[in-house]
Amino acid sequence: MKKNRRTVISISIRTCVTVLASIALAFALIGCTQPAPQPSEKPAEQPQTQAPEPEATPVQLQIFAANSLEKALPEVQALYTAAHPNVTFADTQFKGSGDLVTEIQGGAAPDILITASKGTMDTAEEGAFIDPASRRDMFGNDLVIAKGMGSNVQINALEDVAGDNITSIAIGDADAVPAGAYANQALSTIGLYSDDSGKGGSYDTAFESKVSIASSVGNAAKYVESGDCQIGFVYSSDIFRFSGIEVAYVIPTNTHKAILYPGAILKNSQNAATAADFLDFCLNDPGAQRIWSQYGFEVL
Amino acid sequence: MSTVKLKRSLQPRALVIIMSVLLFCLLAPAHAAYAATSNTTHQTDTTTSTPVEVSRNGTEAKSADTPFAITDFLRSNKGTSKTYNSSYYGYRYPITAPDAFVVVAKESAILVYLPANHAQELTLNSQDPDTQQAFIRLLEALDLQVANGNLPLATLTTPYLFTTEKSITHQGYLYQFAVEVEPGQYYTCITSESVPTASATTSITAASDTQSSYDKNGALYVDSGRLMPAAVVTITLAPTGAQAVWEFFGGIDYRPFWVSMRTSLTAMFFVFILGLAAAHYSLKINQRVRAVLDSVFTIPMVLPPTVCGFLLLVAFGNSTGFGRWLIDHGVVLIFTWPGAVIAAFVVAFPLMYRTTRGAFESLDPNLGDAARTLGWSDRRIFFRLTLPLAWPSIAAGTVLSFARALGEFGATLFVAGNFVGITQTMPIAIYFQWMGGHTDVATFWVVVVILISFLVILFINWYAAHTQRYRMAGADEGIDEETGFSGPKTKTAKSPGKLLRPG
Repeated sequence: MKKNRRTVISISIRTCVTVLASIALAFALIGCTQPAPQPSEKPAEQPQTQAPEPEATPVQLQIFAANSLEKALPEVQALYTAAHPNVTFADTQFKGSGDLVTEIQGGAAPDILITASKGTMDTAEEGAFIDPASRRDMFGNDLVIAKGMGSNVQINALEDVAGDNITSIAIGDADAVPAGAYANQALSTIGLYSDDSGKGGSYDTAFESKVSIASSVGNAAKYVESGDCQIGFVYSSDIFRFSGIEVAYVIPTNTHKAILYPGAILKNSQNAATAADFLDFCLNDPGAQRIWSQYGFEVL
Repeated sequence: MSTVKLKRSLQPRALVIIMSVLLFCLLAPAHAAYAATSNTTHQTDTTTSTPVEVSRNGTEAKSADTPFAITDFLRSNKGTSKTYNSSYYGYRYPITAPDAFVVVAKESAILVYLPANHAQELTLNSQDPDTQQAFIRLLEALDLQVANGNLPLATLTTPYLFTTEKSITHQGYLYQFAVEVEPGQYYTCITSESVPTASATTSITAASDTQSSYDKNGALYVDSGRLMPAAVVTITLAPTGAQAVWEFFGGIDYRPFWVSMRTSLTAMFFVFILGLAAAHYSLKINQRVRAVLDSVFTIPMVLPPTVCGFLLLVAFGNSTGFGRWLIDHGVVLIFTWPGAVIAAFVVAFPLMYRTTRGAFESLDPNLGDAARTLGWSDRRIFFRLTLPLAWPSIAAGTVLSFARALGEFGATLFVAGNFVGITQTMPIAIYFQWMGGHTDVATFWVVVVILISFLVILFINWYAAHTQRYRMAGADEGIDEETGFSGPKTKTAKSPGKLLRPG
C-alpha cells in the first residue's frame, strides 16, 4: 500500500514529462510535413552562394514595401514568378515606410525597398543602404479622405474636416507613415497643422483631440472601416484593398507634395541583378500594368 | 484502495485528455468561425428587380432577361503617361482585349465605345435604348462590385454617350479607345487637344509634365470588357453556406498555429530547465545577491513586452557592438525564428521562475535536513524530495509560461518581425490579418487562441484538483516507510502540521 503511494508521485511526474515529450515530438514530426522554415529561409540572411546571373539558379527576393502596396504587389510578384519560375519571394514586409527604413537601419537586409515618399527613401540613401543608381520613382498615388461605406458624412472641401459633425479622424503617424505626412501637409494649408513639411509640427488644439494616430496607412483605413473613426486620410489605392470604405473627398494635389513611390535595390543585396529585373518588370510589363491600374497606382 | 486505482489510471487518462484537447484545438474553431465568414462572402448583386449575376472575381456578369453577357471585365482606376519606345501616347489606361468595349467615366459624361464588328456579331443595335439599358445594368453591377468604394458608375448622374467610332473628341479631349501600344497590348489613350497633340501617329519623344498632367484629367477611370452571347457564359458565383465555410477553412494559412506551437514549446523547454535551475540555485546563494538576481529574473514580468523587445533588439541588432559581433560570427537573431523563441523565453521565464521558487521556498526546510541525516545526496534530495513535493506548482508554472509564450506579441514583433511561416505567431497573425482587412481570418485566430488559453486554465485546475484529491487521500495514510516523510502527500507548507504528523 505504502509502496504504491510512492510510485504514484513518480508516475505523475513521469506521466507529465512523457506527455509533454510526446506532444513535442508530435509537433516536431508534424512540423516536418509543414512547409517549415529551413535555416536557408531566414529572411535576414540570404544565402551567400547564389549568383544572380544564371537564370536557372533559384533566387529568393526579399522585398520591403510601403504598406499601401499590400494587395497589389503580391499579385505582381505572382505574375513574375509565373514568368521566371526560378525566382520566388520571401514573405514581403508591408509596413509604414518609416518603419521599414528603421528596420533596415537596425540590420534587416532585404533586396528591394519601395517606400511611399521621397523623404523615407532619402533617409535610406543617406544611410548608404541603397544603391543610388538603382533608385527610381515607380508609382504615383492620390490622397483622399475615406469614410465608412454608406456613411452620411459630407466632405465638400478640406475645411470640412474641422467641422463639428466630424468627431474622429484617422491620420497616419507622420514620422513612420508617409500618408500621414501628406495629410498634415494638406492640413497645414488650412491652418490645422503647424508645419507645412507635414512632420514635426502639431495639430490645432481643438482639432488634435479628434485625431487618432495610426501606425500605417492600412491601419488608418481600418479605423475607418471598423467605425472607430468617421473619416481617415488614406490613398485612393487603399479604397480598393479595404472593402468597407469609400471616398468622401479627393484632396487637391496642390495642397501636398507629389505622392511618389521610389523603389531601389539595397546595396548589400546578393541578388541585385534579379532585383533590378523585377523592378523593371513592375514598371514595364503589360500584365503588371493592368494590376497597378486595377489597384489605383499610376505607373510613372 | 481507491487511491491506488486512481493513481494507476492516471497515465492513460492524462494521455487521452491531452489528445482530445489537441483534437479539440484543431476542430472546434471550425464551427466557431462559421458565423464570421458566412455574412462576408455574398457578392451577388440583388439590388435590381431581375437580378444581375456577377461572378465572384468581378469579371463576368449576365442577367436572365438579357441576350448578351459581359466577360473579361477590367476597371482601370489609374492609367499611365509613360512613354513606350520613346513615344508618348497620352494618358493611357490598359483595356482588357483588342475588341473590347470601353467605358470612359468623366464627370460630365460617360463615353461608351462599342466596337462596330463586336455589336454586329451579337446582332446588337448599339443605338437601341433597350439594348443600351440592358448593357448599362450589367455594366453598373460589375463596376459597383469592382469599384469597392471608389466612385462607381452608378452614382455618376451624367448621361451615357454611345459610339462605335474608334476615336472621338469630347470637350477638348481626344479619346482613342483601342490603341495597340505594346505588341498585343491595347490601351485607351487620352490626349488634350488644347496642348499640342501627340497621338500614335505623330508621336513626340517625351511628354512634358504639363501635358501629361493635363491629359490625365480626361477621365476619372476606364472600364473595359467584352460582350458575349449570354448562352456561352457561365457565371461562377461566390459560394454560400457549407461550401463557403469549406472554402474559408481551405483558404486559411494554418502556419501561424504551427509557428506558435513550435516557438512556445521550444521556449517552454528552455524555460522549464533554466527556470528550475534558477529557482533552485537562487535559494542557495547569498541573500543580497539573491535579491538582485531575483529582480533581474522577475523584471520581464512587470516590464511591458515592447520594452523587452526593444532591449533585445538593441542587444542583438546591428546597432551595438555586441550585436554586430554576433552577426559577424553568424548568429543572426533579429527577424529570425530563434529571435521569436528568445522573445517568448524572456517573457515566459519569470512566470516559471517565480512559481517554482515560491514552491521551493514553501517547502519545510526540516525535510531536507532530515533527508541529509539519512545520508541523501543533494542531488537525490532535489530529484526525489524537492521536485516531487513542489511538482504541482512546477507543473502549473510550466503550463502558465507556455500560455504566456503562446500569447507573446510585443517583444516578438520587435525582435522577430512578421514573416509568414517563420516568425508569424498567432497573436501576430491576428494583428496583421485585422490590419490587412481580413477580419474573418483574424476572428478565426482569436477563437483558436481563446480556446487554447481556456484549455490551459482547465488543465491547471483539473491537475490541481487531482493532486489535491490524492494528497488528501495520502494524508490519511501516514508516513512513508521508506523515506521517513509523509511520502507523496505534497501538502507542502500549506499544512506542515500534517506533514510532520507522527506515524
